Amino acid sequence: MLTVGAKFPEFKKKSVVSIENGKEFQEVSSNDHKSKNEWMVMFWYPKDFTFVCPTEIAEFNKNYEEFRDRDAMLIGASTDSEYVHLAWRKHHDDLSDLKFPLLADTSKSLAEELGILEANEKIAYRATFIVDPEGVIRFVSVNDLSVGRNVKEVLRVLDALQTDELCPCNWQKGQATLNG
Amino acid sequence: MSLQETKQDLLKDLKIDETKRFTSLDAMVQGDTRYLRDLRINVKNTLGSENISPKEAYLLALAVSSNEKNEVLKCSFTDYAKELGASEAEVAEIHACASMLSVNNVLYRFRHFAKHEAYNNMPAGIKMNVMMNPVLGKEFFELVSLAVSAVNGCESCVMSHEASVRNLGTSEARIFDAIRLASVIRGLSAVIH
Repeated sequence: MLTVGAKFPEFKKKSVVSIENGKEFQEVSSNDHKSKNEWMVMFWYPKDFTFVCPTEIAEFNKNYEEFRDRDAMLIGASTDSEYVHLAWRKHHDDLSDLKFPLLADTSKSLAEELGILEANEKIAYRATFIVDPEGVIRFVSVNDLSVGRNVKEVLRVLDALQTDELCPCNWQKGQATLNG
Repeated sequence: MSLQETKQDLLKDLKIDETKRFTSLDAMVQGDTRYLRDLRINVKNTLGSENISPKEAYLLALAVSSNEKNEVLKCSFTDYAKELGASEAEVAEIHACASMLSVNNVLYRFRHFAKHEAYNNMPAGIKMNVMMNPVLGKEFFELVSLAVSAVNGCESCVMSHEASVRNLGTSEARIFDAIRLASVIRGLSAVIH
């Protein structure tokens, strides 16, 4: 499994961004966040149309604004196809107004590269990656298939990664200046 | 990712009418400064500080807003504090405490600035009975007094309240959470008032 310090793999995948006719699909790539100088938070889940997943995805959706304010692009992902994603979003009330893309790793190539495929079923573990604007993985967590995640904890980690004491009042003697 | 959304969310968090105009806030939206996002995150994070209960956090925010004479924020934080179980008496005491400190922070700061022994020997001559047996409890009342004194920049008040609150067994982590919250609310008050 890829871990902290590694480059997040390059990818370009189909995703579902809306349930509105004609606006359903969009490509997402590893360049999207980098070109905007933003962070990326990608969370994986095993399968569409299961029980734990919608709760968790809805929780991420509820906190969408928090990720936005932290300049982080949020992406949900599984190995289901974009059509299954769309059908699930149309079928489940909690998922109708998702504000972030659901990535379809139909070929499982990205999950494979990340090393998060479960051996038997070849579905993704509940892995979460925080990637900085340079494309470097800065945080990884992985839960077994049935264990849900704590979104607040992901935000806490993101804050910790982003918070720097830049104020000159905090400089200690001998430290370099902001520009040096 | 528009800052207009962040502004509206910030106002929504505070239960303030989203269509209301605020000069500084609107200028930041127009000029596209990402400071607005930092501000919203700082407000949310400090109100949810680990070592301060939610009710205490909103009462502390209310004390700072009262000290800043900020009607908009006073309304917002009073609503939240009451929702979290704060009584009329506790809310009243927060305002009393803030007002009392507006007095003491000037008086004791003067003594400290002037460094002339004669003033230290004169009685303060001001009634401060509100500080006896507070309904908020001694520890929290002292913590609020410390935070407001830090906002007002009275060195001798900060030193004495800091010592007294630690004597009551308060951890440094809790004290710093309170100060961080007070400082962020003061910054919030600079753009929403």
